[in-house]
Amino acid sequence: MTQAEIFLGELERDALTEVVNIGVSRAAASLRKMVNKQVILSVPSIAIVTRRSAAALIGQRESEGLIAVQQHFEGPFSGRALLIFPESNGLSLARAIVGGEMTEDELIDMEDEALTETGNIILNGCLGSMANMLQHSLKMSLPDVLRGDSEHLFDVLETSNEDSFVLFLYINFSVREHDIRGYIAMIMDLPSLDKLKMLIADFIERVT
Amino acid sequence: MDSGLNAELDLARQRLKLMIDAAGATCGWEWDIPAKRLTADARFAAITNQDPLVLAQGVSTEHFFNAIHPDDLKRVKLAVAGILGGSALFSREYRLLRDDGGFRWVHASGRALYDDNDEPVKFIGMLVDITEQKRTQERLRIAQVAGGIGTFEYVSGYGTINVSEQFCRLFGLHPAKVLPVRTLNLLIHPDDNPIINLQNPNGFQDESNAEFRITRPDDGAERWLARRGEYVDDIEAEGRRYIGVIFDVTDAKRTQQRLREANQALAERARESIQERNRVWQNSRDLLVVIGTDGVFRDVNPAWSTILGTEPQAVIGSRVLDAVWPEDRDQIRALLKDVIENLHSDLEIRLTHRDGTPRTISWTTSHEGDVVYAYGRDVTIEKEQRAALQETEAQLRQAQKMEAVGQLTGGIAHDFNNMLTGVIGALSVIRRRIAAGRLDELDKFIDAATSSAERAAALTHRLLAFSRRQSLDRQSLDVKQLVSSMEDLFRRTLGEQVELMINIAADTWKAVTDPNQLESAILNLVINARDAMPEGGKLTIETTNAALGEADLAQKESLQPGNYVVIAVSDTGIGMSQATIDKAFDPFFTTKPIGQGTGLGLSMIYGFAQQSGGHVRIYSETGLGTTVKLYLPGSHEDVAAAILDEDPVYVPPRGEGEKVLVVEDDASVRMLVVDVLKDLGYQVIEAVDSNQAIPLLEGKERIDLMISDVGLPGLNGRQLAEIALSNRPKLKVLFITGYAATAASRGDFLAPGMEMITKPFAIDDLAQKVREILTGQAEA
Repeated sequence: MTQAEIFLGELERDALTEVVNIGVSRAAASLRKMVNKQVILSVPSIAIVTRRSAAALIGQRESEGLIAVQQHFEGPFSGRALLIFPESNGLSLARAIVGGEMTEDELIDMEDEALTETGNIILNGCLGSMANMLQHSLKMSLPDVLRGDSEHLFDVLETSNEDSFVLFLYINFSVREHDIRGYIAMIMDLPSLDKLKMLIADFIERVT
Repeated sequence: MDSGLNAELDLARQRLKLMIDAAGATCGWEWDIPAKRLTADARFAAITNQDPLVLAQGVSTEHFFNAIHPDDLKRVKLAVAGILGGSALFSREYRLLRDDGGFRWVHASGRALYDDNDEPVKFIGMLVDITEQKRTQERLRIAQVAGGIGTFEYVSGYGTINVSEQFCRLFGLHPAKVLPVRTLNLLIHPDDNPIINLQNPNGFQDESNAEFRITRPDDGAERWLARRGEYVDDIEAEGRRYIGVIFDVTDAKRTQQRLREANQALAERARESIQERNRVWQNSRDLLVVIGTDGVFRDVNPAWSTILGTEPQAVIGSRVLDAVWPEDRDQIRALLKDVIENLHSDLEIRLTHRDGTPRTISWTTSHEGDVVYAYGRDVTIEKEQRAALQETEAQLRQAQKMEAVGQLTGGIAHDFNNMLTGVIGALSVIRRRIAAGRLDELDKFIDAATSSAERAAALTHRLLAFSRRQSLDRQSLDVKQLVSSMEDLFRRTLGEQVELMINIAADTWKAVTDPNQLESAILNLVINARDAMPEGGKLTIETTNAALGEADLAQKESLQPGNYVVIAVSDTGIGMSQATIDKAFDPFFTTKPIGQGTGLGLSMIYGFAQQSGGHVRIYSETGLGTTVKLYLPGSHEDVAAAILDEDPVYVPPRGEGEKVLVVEDDASVRMLVVDVLKDLGYQVIEAVDSNQAIPLLEGKERIDLMISDVGLPGLNGRQLAEIALSNRPKLKVLFITGYAATAASRGDFLAPGMEMITKPFAIDDLAQKVREILTGQAEA
């Protein structure tokens, strides 16, 4: 049903999931330290879809505006990674990180900063671990914050290039006592995906 | 001893294995990552077919993968690599081979333990035999897919919900294992209950069954979903877990909705129908009545009081017969039974109005179940009007008949007087000549008198036949001979276009009848037949015998059983409709154009046949032709004829040579008058009409008296007299008239010097009148 099955065999999918899972676990550990609360990051579900499908996937699930932390990465495979929350989750996450001492106004001032920090930890942890497991390194840009609907985040309207695919990871951020959920998306073009696939195959070869 | 110990050990192992099999017990392991050593408990060893002692002491980590099904091995190795690389959780299901060649399903769940640098140092976990669970799951999955049932789990306090693939399909969402509750709630119709109420995240959800509408994001369709669920204790964390299912109830809901709508529509229609019925019941001008089979009024509508003066309340519960006009009750009692027993019936019943007068009601009834529905229309006035109309029509017919009879008799009286004048005049002449001893030329007058008398007799016969009171000269008559003798006459009458056939049965009896009437009747029928064939055709005259029994006679025919001679006249003409046949014997009825028929022909034949003791029947097919059959009683007896007597003698006054002009169109009357005047000693000039008379009047010849018929062709007698007087002012005039209408207004009609004598007159009276006028003794 999804493009992932076309691109990746079952074992490759398992391997990619595992690689991502390692990254997410690292990120969760970092997050757990930051918010000092139980953080459950679900095992991610993986899909490789077009940008349009990715936008629809999130649009279906989220009725409100979105907020995203974005980082570009370069290496054997290049693209950009997005950590996406529903807009209203931004403040909750900020509150979870900075604690209950701050007023609402102070929180709003802090929001972008808190999100940038959170995104940096999660995306860095995630991508870094992946690169590490695949025995390569990635160069990461500084994070920036985007707001808008899913089509805007995935540049659906500006891009007619069907080569652009999205490695779409749905991760449930269940932060206890805070209703927070989010998505991680990695937008890559076809050559990058092919390269990722080769690296996955190497990884499978190594560990099995 | 060793062997005994080993045997005991084997036994213990087997027992343990059985226990593991039976209990599905968990078996733990501990993987030291930096040391690369694996230790595991005896249960882990048993389930992976390894030596428990060795495993308890520690072995290389390769032993972790012992007994794993080859198809699952790579997946498990990948997952382990994840943990060793930094993944927090390990959770895999896979198959373990058993030493009997089969396999069991296990769930391996584990996690990594970290050192201070967040590096994984230990990987611990346990195996659970889930073979049975797998089967159950498989069954559940099949049941869920087949039943279209989606499952979910919600842990109190979370913003997300774990869902099955079928759950996502039901919501029209991309398959996922976890979904935001908010997302689901937003798809649910705002008027309906949310799937999970987040108002109070840590509180309990309403466990009762819920139904809600959703708008599916994938196809935009609105569907009805039902939720069933209950709380179970959360086995992994504190708090409770709400586990439930959803399934699509759209079809059932729509069916329900349609059913409800149909019910509403039905109820609405029923209500309208009742209203309609009520309106009809209330507003009908006619009677609507419900009668029980016991003959008692169950219900009557308000029209009852309008038509019969009694309020419906007073009528309901009373017997039908009590409302019936008393004279009709016996008759209605029987009819009422019919109405109750039969399904439908139409009848007219008179009911009693409250004021005591009858009302005629025309009823239509229908019997349904144990009641009779009756619809009644008041036809009282209609009936009265119908009767009045019939009476008026009868009066009109009588008046028309009388008018026609008047016209007819007027004309006939004129003719008849002419004939009588001929007879009386001739007889007077004969008497005078005998008295004078002049016996020559008497034959001429006798013949004239006889001829006139015979014509008069014939006319009288016709009239009597018309009035059906003729006296028949009944005698035994050879019909064969009579018909044969008329053949020439028929042929002349019919012309060339009509082919005549005469079939006379040789054994035709003699008939008892009047020969002249029969002749006239047959001729009449032949002429009718001819007129029915304007384009020509075939005319057949037959004579036969008929012995008629009771069975042969139609109802309403006055014919008696017996032997009859039948004369049938048939044509191949236009035929008659039954309506025409029904009226054919009525006097003055004719289908011929005005002026071409009197309408008396068949009527007279009918009268003649009736009087003869016979009958006439008409058989006709429109377009094929008509046969008229004349039935006359057959007989062998002769009938005698009657003889007449004569008058005594009288001598009239004589003239003195005065000159008289006689204007008369009837030759025998003129001859008679002329002869009488000559005999009396007058000089006589004759004229047939005014055209002949005027030159004589304008001439120089002496004329003392003009005797003129009033009813002359061309200028009538009165006009001629005007002309005569303008030439000869002293001329005396005597009018002869047979027309009673003229005589009745004698004063208006006659100028001075004019006299009138009415036909038929005695010759002596004429002589007397002429003498009086010429000697100036007349009263005028």
